[in-house]
Amino acid sequence: MDQCRSTRVIIIYAYRVLLIAACGIAVGLALFVSRPAAAQVLQPVPPDSACKLCHIDSTETITLTSGETLNAGIDPVQLDDSVHGVHAAAPVFCTDCHRPQQRYQYPHQANPAESLSEFEAEIAGNCQQCHTTEELHNPGHLQAKDNPNVPNCVDCHGGHDVAPAAAFEADPVGTCQTCHQEIADPHIAEVHAEIVSNLGPNQTCQTCHASTPQSEDAKCQTCHSLLNSALTLPSGDTVDLHVNPADLVTSMHGEQVINGQQYTTLRCTDCHKEQGLWGFPHQPIDAQTRRDLTINMQAVCQDCHTDIFDRNADGIHAQHIVEGNLEAATCEDCHGNHAIQNPDEPRERVSQTCGNCHSTINEQYGGSVHGAALLGEDNPDVPICTDCHGVHNIPDPTTAEFRLSSPYMCGRCHADQELMDKYGISTDVFDTYVADFHGTTVTLFDHQSPHEESNKAVCYDCHGVHNILPASDENSQVIKQNLLVTCQQCHPDANDNFPNSWTSHFKPSIEHNPLVYFVDLFYLIVIPATVGGFLLFIGSDIFRQVRERFQRKSKESHDE
Amino acid sequence: MSNSTGKYWRFDVFQRVEHALLITSFTVLVITGLPQKFSSQPWAEFMIMAMGGIEVVRIIHRAAAVLLIAETMYHFGVLTYKVFVKRVSLTMLPSMQDAKDGIQALTYNLGVTKGAPRMGRYNFGEKVEYWAVIWGTLVMVITGFALWNPIATTYFLPGQFIPAAKAAHGGEALLAVLSIITWHFYNVHLKQFNRSMFTGYISHHEMAEEHALELEQIQKGQLPPPAHPDGLRRRQRIFVPLAAVMALITIVGLYFFITFEQTAITTVPRQTTDIYVPLTPAPDAPGG
Repeated sequence: MDQCRSTRVIIIYAYRVLLIAACGIAVGLALFVSRPAAAQVLQPVPPDSACKLCHIDSTETITLTSGETLNAGIDPVQLDDSVHGVHAAAPVFCTDCHRPQQRYQYPHQANPAESLSEFEAEIAGNCQQCHTTEELHNPGHLQAKDNPNVPNCVDCHGGHDVAPAAAFEADPVGTCQTCHQEIADPHIAEVHAEIVSNLGPNQTCQTCHASTPQSEDAKCQTCHSLLNSALTLPSGDTVDLHVNPADLVTSMHGEQVINGQQYTTLRCTDCHKEQGLWGFPHQPIDAQTRRDLTINMQAVCQDCHTDIFDRNADGIHAQHIVEGNLEAATCEDCHGNHAIQNPDEPRERVSQTCGNCHSTINEQYGGSVHGAALLGEDNPDVPICTDCHGVHNIPDPTTAEFRLSSPYMCGRCHADQELMDKYGISTDVFDTYVADFHGTTVTLFDHQSPHEESNKAVCYDCHGVHNILPASDENSQVIKQNLLVTCQQCHPDANDNFPNSWTSHFKPSIEHNPLVYFVDLFYLIVIPATVGGFLLFIGSDIFRQVRERFQRKSKESHDE
Repeated sequence: MSNSTGKYWRFDVFQRVEHALLITSFTVLVITGLPQKFSSQPWAEFMIMAMGGIEVVRIIHRAAAVLLIAETMYHFGVLTYKVFVKRVSLTMLPSMQDAKDGIQALTYNLGVTKGAPRMGRYNFGEKVEYWAVIWGTLVMVITGFALWNPIATTYFLPGQFIPAAKAAHGGEALLAVLSIITWHFYNVHLKQFNRSMFTGYISHHEMAEEHALELEQIQKGQLPPPAHPDGLRRRQRIFVPLAAVMALITIVGLYFFITFEQTAITTVPRQTTDIYVPLTPAPDAPGG
């Protein structure tokens, strides 16, 4: 029993020893296989491990038929760091790019590439197996695929050191410029350099060199929106080359529906016709000065706005230009060029436009009753410059003709009952003016000899011109205390009584000019009474004569 | 005065010349004046244009006015001579008899009264006309002076007299023209053409009808005797130098009337300002 029991103990003991030994061996083995070499035992062997056995750190070179040499060695660190390296989402193996596989199995078959570029081109052809998004790439390059000078994938992206796409996106222009470095024409090179340097955040070479050919207009806009420099004319004047395409779109020349007719935005070459014909680079501009250019550009406006242009030709500005005063306003001076807006919206704009050149007059106008109402209240009734002076066919305001017809100009509003009622202004002003000595003469001159000067006062001789104030204003030229001075402008000997000889635009009444009223009333009664009395007496005399004739006749017949 | 052919001497050559001057000046004043009063009428504008424009019309009007004033002055000179030197009876003075004659003429015309009034050298109708001319000329000369010389006038009259003068000048003109066309034209042209102001003689028939009383006096030889030659000569000696002085004063006065003032020397002096004064710094071209 004891022997049996001791035998079982020995077996258990031995088992324990064996178990411990097995554990020791296992640990020892584990420690042994924990070396890298031992891992190969646990994982599948990568398909290019064989390639790397030879090519990593190889210093051999291969000489191609062209005489060019190719390094057989590769830098594993560079490869691992590349976008195809160990961190790639999907592993890329040597034979994924170096195909066909049969050629690259060891011993390698002879490579048919005769030169380095042929070698690279063949490899580049394999990129498409994975990278099918060809359209992301420059269309010019793709379209010119068969041209031997066109870069292939490897030319731009590199080989074993292929960089992530983000690296190209970060500097797309630089990528292009690795090849495209020089432009032969220095003028184009200069313009191009400025455009490139002004490229915006989302702009690349492809903004201009896009996949689909650009329209003429887009071509103009792309360059000129990026150009900030100026063109220098022979005189030394400069022309700003920057154009904001949005200016045109939001201008009167943008999309418009006018009288039910839909108009599309004007194209650059609709106005800049010659530039359109010439394309780029542009021909030199004829104009010697900036002013010449502005004046010449009027012809462009004429093409569409014929009527307005013709009327403008009769105007004082155009006449001055013809006479050689080049400061006179042209289309562009008033309307602008690319960002033309509705010229009288708001109405204030007109005053500002004229004020650009006629600043002192505009200043006076701003202080007048008309100007203050326009600028302060946006009053729609007060005259703006163009209401009195006209728009395109602006007449010379210094002529006798303008002066003589001016009362009608004022009368257009001041004799308008409906309009004047709004402001409590009498509409008798025009009639009372014409009824008086000054107005009678001026009206007759206007009708009969409009080109002859008359020294009789017109509205603005007394009331002021651009600085016109309400007759009740203490600074008004026509308020009672200032009237004598105003009269003395023409009547230097006038005394204190003299201004009262003017009826102040009042129709005679008991309140205003009673003496005149009673004289009128006197004759209103005396004339019909006298003449009526005469006529009655004459009637009675005719009655007598007729009666006597009848009596004579009846007497004669009686006598017979 | 009477003769066998039944014609009676009525107006001497000086009176007829006066009348001719009056016709001339009055007609010219009407032709140049009425278009000014009604200048807004197309016919008036046409007349003004035909006469060479408003400024020419004004000059003609003033020239005719000077003629009328001169004629009036002469008339008063002659009148003074007749009254103070020749001591003629004042046949043109209105009297109560004229009013009675007028009423009788009217009632006779209407057939209410049997007989026509028997009237003297100047009947009521002629007196009305004469005094109307006197009154009218006075009004026109005074108001005309005010219009011609408004500044001088306002030195001694309120300003309102100028437009009032204009109203009176126009009203009186219209009254005169209408009176001439009705009263004068009817009485001496239409009723029967009275040639005495042109020939100097009046027919017996007209005398009988218009101046029955005067005719009777002529026929009866009851005319007042002419002044005594001695007295006449003495008075003439006083009158002539006095008249010469008066004439001189009149001429000088008339000259002053014409050249009294230069109302409007000039028009408002032209202001020469630089109209091209661009804003500095130049604003952006409108809309860039």
